[in-house]
Amino acid sequence: MALLEVEGLTRFFGGLRAVGNLSVEVNEGEILGLIGPNGAGKTTVFNLVTGFVRPSSGAIRLEGRSVVGLKPHAVARRGIARTFQIVKPFPRLSVRENVTLAAFLRHRARREAEAAAMEVVERLGIGHRAETLASQLTLIDQKRLEMARALATGPRILLLDEPMGGLNPSEVGTASGIVEQIRESGVTVILVEHVMKAIMRISDRVVVMHHGEKIADGPPAQVVQDPAVIAAYFGKRAA
Amino acid sequence: MSRRARILAGTAGALALAALPLVVKNTFFLHVCILVFMWTVLGAAWNVLGGFAGQVSFGHAALFAIGSYATIILFLKAGIAPWWGIPLGGVAAAGLSVPIGLLCFRLRGPYFSLATLAVAELARLVALNWEWLTNGPIGFLITTLPPLQILGYSVDWESKLPFYALAAFLMMAALLSTAWLRQSRLGAFLAAIREDEDAAEAVGIDTVRSKVVTLALSGFLAGLGGGFYAFYFRYVDPDAVLSIGLSMEMVFIAMVGGLGTVGGPLIGAVFLTTVGEAVRERFQVGHLVFYGLFMMLVIRFLPEGIWGRVLRLLARVQARVQRHGAA
Amino acid sequence: METFVQSLVSGVLMGALYAMIGIGLTVIFGVMRIINLAHGEMVMVGMFGAFWSQTLWGLDPFLSILLWAPVMFVGGMLLYRFLLRKIIPGGELNTLLYTAGLSLLVANLALLAWTGDYRTITLAYTQAPMRPLGIAVPGALAIGFGVAVVVTVALWLFLGRTDMGRAIRATSQNPEAAVLMGVDVERVAVVAFGLGTALAGAAGVLLAPSLYLYPTVGELLIVKSFVIVVLGGLGSVPGAIAGGLLLGVAESLGAVYVSSTYKDGIGYVIFLLVLLYRPSGLFGVGKR
Repeated sequence: MALLEVEGLTRFFGGLRAVGNLSVEVNEGEILGLIGPNGAGKTTVFNLVTGFVRPSSGAIRLEGRSVVGLKPHAVARRGIARTFQIVKPFPRLSVRENVTLAAFLRHRARREAEAAAMEVVERLGIGHRAETLASQLTLIDQKRLEMARALATGPRILLLDEPMGGLNPSEVGTASGIVEQIRESGVTVILVEHVMKAIMRISDRVVVMHHGEKIADGPPAQVVQDPAVIAAYFGKRAA
Repeated sequence: MSRRARILAGTAGALALAALPLVVKNTFFLHVCILVFMWTVLGAAWNVLGGFAGQVSFGHAALFAIGSYATIILFLKAGIAPWWGIPLGGVAAAGLSVPIGLLCFRLRGPYFSLATLAVAELARLVALNWEWLTNGPIGFLITTLPPLQILGYSVDWESKLPFYALAAFLMMAALLSTAWLRQSRLGAFLAAIREDEDAAEAVGIDTVRSKVVTLALSGFLAGLGGGFYAFYFRYVDPDAVLSIGLSMEMVFIAMVGGLGTVGGPLIGAVFLTTVGEAVRERFQVGHLVFYGLFMMLVIRFLPEGIWGRVLRLLARVQARVQRHGAA
Repeated sequence: METFVQSLVSGVLMGALYAMIGIGLTVIFGVMRIINLAHGEMVMVGMFGAFWSQTLWGLDPFLSILLWAPVMFVGGMLLYRFLLRKIIPGGELNTLLYTAGLSLLVANLALLAWTGDYRTITLAYTQAPMRPLGIAVPGALAIGFGVAVVVTVALWLFLGRTDMGRAIRATSQNPEAAVLMGVDVERVAVVAFGLGTALAGAAGVLLAPSLYLYPTVGELLIVKSFVIVVLGGLGSVPGAIAGGLLLGVAESLGAVYVSSTYKDGIGYVIFLLVLLYRPSGLFGVGKR
């Protein structure tokens, strides 16, 4: 059984079909890349899976149990965590406080939660900024914070929404390394990204969306040669 | 402020409170103190929801009124003495705040605020018209309070002392519960909700539950204040306990004192009672003009409130002292 | 049946004036995303303006709209420019509380100046109700309705045909894109606030001959304004018109068929119901 199963997932916003009959399986330990032109519905899929938006129809199952209809905090408790495309830190709280809040999900006592939080913070390389206010971090550090916070909830699966947006090439390399480390630590990853080089390099499998539907699903090398995918991306340079 | 400093300040304050009526016997002064204590409880009640959880309510008078009506009705109709009625009033207000919260928390920001306003105004209409429950515009009046013996002494209800003691006790309870909230896990969750509610949900914080629990605490305190009001002033009617003015006064105290601070409501209450009463003397009708003006001035020039600013200055002084100490 | 038509008609007439108030609020929200809690007081100022210009100078209230609308327009612009603009960067909470303070200030200044006594305006030419088709139509309300329609049409043309009007609509739909298109968003904000205030004041002037006037009427009107604006969808002018008419009719019918004491409560109940079940308004225009 796949870790995460999405079946026939559909979402309408008024007359617009943002996601149409999407079926995907995510296996444990995978890094699954989710790509597609702007407006393809990728972030909507994230919102659907994490409970921020309710599906119009379709099923979403984590380890065989449905998560449809759960509020985001309950979805997080089940083990699905996410980051946001535009980072959403708690701006006036420190890095430590930001991540400790997330750690409270699995650790009742403050001291335990803080310890667990600091462990993740160190692992993601922002330990030296533990007391800095989130609003005062550089962009890449904010992205690290975003990931640390999601990881501190102890997820089985982590949804990363364009973590490399706005980063320069060397930072992209670092971020890719972090994603791989996350997978090494036992967390399955779904990665939405536009930076092709990164996605192709680290994904085990790639799913391509276009106009809300899945148009390809397979290893990166194969997907990139798929004529349907090329047609969807016509004009978009492969980075 | 360090923990030790806070405990010291708290104990010193408590001792001063206890000693005060032994030193100053002037009844008007004691009356003012009682008002300050009562308003502190109400300001703290609002602060819990508005300052800590960041949810601005313009209808807190409704919770206050539930406490007032509960206390006075329990006494006049069921013979339950006010010293039991007051905590029961608090519980009633907390209880009713839950459905109100579940209704209003579906909305965020200004929509929430307006919903609370609508709820309070509806409550006022109900209180005015549902005569069998609330006696309508006539309200309720306590003519005689029940006799009470404490440690062999018969309590004199004509004196300010018993009310002073009760009010001081309620105020300490309110301040202590606010202090507890601040360092609790719930308090941390509220800080997250205040910063970014979606992000808080994403990291597993049940935002609705946190808000409802906080509202219940806020309602409890407001209900306590309302119950005390019924006990001390002995008269409850819709105009007195369900006015928008009253809701605004609670907002005002918390804002001027300092949102999200523990001591803020006390400072705000002192400000409101002293300056406010003076303005009321002078102007009678339209005295709320002072509240409106000061709210605007505080938001413009002192958004963290008086006490909030004091705390910030103290922190800066402390930091400077530490730096010089290290260097 | 006659009662039904009667109250329907009164509801529509009143509803048009409510709609004007709602349009003012929705324009301000659409452009600046701020909820102006003092909007009800702006209506009150218009009401008293009409009252005093009649009492002191004998100026017919309906004519006085030509005086008070521009005055309130300028007043609104000044209010925004010199008071509100500094507060908005402080966040939604602060702005909300600030306008709440402003509302208290204005209402109570009015109380100080004019006492809480109820005032009325009586007009010689509307003493007897008109009776088209046998339905009693209060004259003052009918005239107010007529002027409101004219004003709304003028506003519609303004928003649709003039550069500033289009700028307002653009900023309302997408402030970032508007900036990129060269719209001076600050100037638009000032004008929008002035416009919203002027509409509120004008509605007050038109309502004055039909209602009891007292300084704290703003408390009542602000919730009604929000019912209207939320019913129609925040930022939508046609929505505000529909919302206003709906509220007017609901209140009118409610007063006759449900209870007249709870008439104002109807607005509150509708408000809560709409917010619960259709927060994006009956027409799904959407909150942003």
